[in-house]
Amino acid sequence: MALEKQTEMSQSETDALLGRHETGVLSLARDDDPYAIPISYGYDADERTFYLRLVSTPDSEKRKFLSSNPDARLVVYEEAEPTYRSVVVTGELVEVPRDAMTVEHIEQYGDAKRPLFEIWGDSKPELDIKLYELRTDSISGRHIELSEPRHD
Amino acid sequence: MTASEEFTFVCPDCGESMEVNPAMKDALLENGCVVCGAELTPAAFSTSSQSLDQ
Repeated sequence: MALEKQTEMSQSETDALLGRHETGVLSLARDDDPYAIPISYGYDADERTFYLRLVSTPDSEKRKFLSSNPDARLVVYEEAEPTYRSVVVTGELVEVPRDAMTVEHIEQYGDAKRPLFEIWGDSKPELDIKLYELRTDSISGRHIELSEPRHD
Repeated sequence: MTASEEFTFVCPDCGESMEVNPAMKDALLENGCVVCGAELTPAAFSTSSQSLDQ
């Protein structure tokens, strides 16, 4: 199998990919324990900031990983043969307190989709829905063009 | 009614409640509940005097 050459995407290409998607995989870590979950997001290309709603229950594993402002990575990718694109984001996940809510936040979370992957089986009072910003340190995108169609 | 009037917002879907100003009320009606994303109607908002009457 020949490996195709990866090409770095421009900032506008990267922003376009992040804008046309609404889900990705968020990875957190605590000591040596990794944690990765599918999430929905809204993306502000001007601020290069992501807006997320994360749902947890009192005993959930997720809550343990969200106990402080953790470093995080977000991966968003797409495959539309022969082109494969991926974006890797690093940054800090910061909770937005309810009492600090602004019109701008309301507009940003309006762009963020409902938490499509979240489990709403518990009654709403048992669920803890918190709002977060992923303040980015770096955003890098790459794409690969396959020269020949892939045969499975 | 004044421009600085505060409203009490209660989401009928997730139960979130908070005090909001008129600009935030308009933004919530346009964008949905900031917490759960549910669509909202003016019925989700009451003024302080309405809250006391209830």
